[in-house]
Amino acid sequence: MPKLEDKIMEHPFLKTMPPEHLQPLLKNALEVEFQSGEILFREGEPANRLFLIETGRVAIEAGTHQGKTVQTLGPGEVLGWSWLFPPFTWHFSARAMESTECVVLDGGHLLVMAEENPKFGYDLMRLISQVLVGRLQVTRKKMLEASAPKEP
Amino acid sequence: MNTDSEQPASDLKQLSRLIAAHPFLKGLSSQHLQVLSAAAMLKDFAPGEIIFQEGDPANRFYLIESGKVTLEISEKDREPTLIQTISAGDVLGWSWLFPPYYWHFNARAAEATKAIFFYGTRLREQCEEDRALGYELMKRMAEIMIERLQATRRQLRELRLSHP
Repeated sequence: MPKLEDKIMEHPFLKTMPPEHLQPLLKNALEVEFQSGEILFREGEPANRLFLIETGRVAIEAGTHQGKTVQTLGPGEVLGWSWLFPPFTWHFSARAMESTECVVLDGGHLLVMAEENPKFGYDLMRLISQVLVGRLQVTRKKMLEASAPKEP
Repeated sequence: MNTDSEQPASDLKQLSRLIAAHPFLKGLSSQHLQVLSAAAMLKDFAPGEIIFQEGDPANRFYLIESGKVTLEISEKDREPTLIQTISAGDVLGWSWLFPPYYWHFNARAAEATKAIFFYGTRLREQCEEDRALGYELMKRMAEIMIERLQATRRQLRELRLSHP
């Protein structure tokens, strides 16, 4: 079994993170397994964790009605940013669509470390921003598809 | 484009004032504001003017001072689709931050628009050298991206609910 610190540093989200930043990432980190259907976090609740998906599949959901899934994520992907900025509450819910293993990092601690050590802060924000740009592009593409006139 | 000289001192002063007052840069140190001012110039866009075009190299970003800018994606055989409208106080453009450094959409002035242009290629190097500046800029960019992502996801959800 790979050690937790190896799982963290080898996760695709963090693979370009300099090894010197391992310590702030590792603090309070834990491995969590979610059963199919289990909630990772719920819209409106306090946000303090970053999830690195190891195996399985996670749905990001808005509200509770039909069509609520806004995106699904799988192994090597990452979710949970709402701890970065006020109001520090989840804007969406996340649910395991199948049995899912994650490494969970302490967002509050990451934020404190980022403020204290701008070198770490810069590297962390750069990685997060890069993921966000990709997500935004995916979501915009889906918008275009959803608004496209249907073929007769 | 000329970004570093021949601007009268009064213009530079006005530019520094605008940069310091823009909501995106609120809380930045005067030293970092100076670095930004050195990579900036004021730009005016006429109604309908293209600010940048999907697929072109991305080497800059803008802070909108006044006016309105529409963001559009052009698809083959289709009219460009409006994805967002932004206005005074907003930020335009982050593709200069990450490879492949190409614009992913078109930006067009919907009305007469005044914006502060920043030379991104130079700023990116300065962020690498001064991580405190890099952190401050990247944090602000991330915050805007999260807001845009959340807004876009909600739009998508509503679209799906109204066109099941």
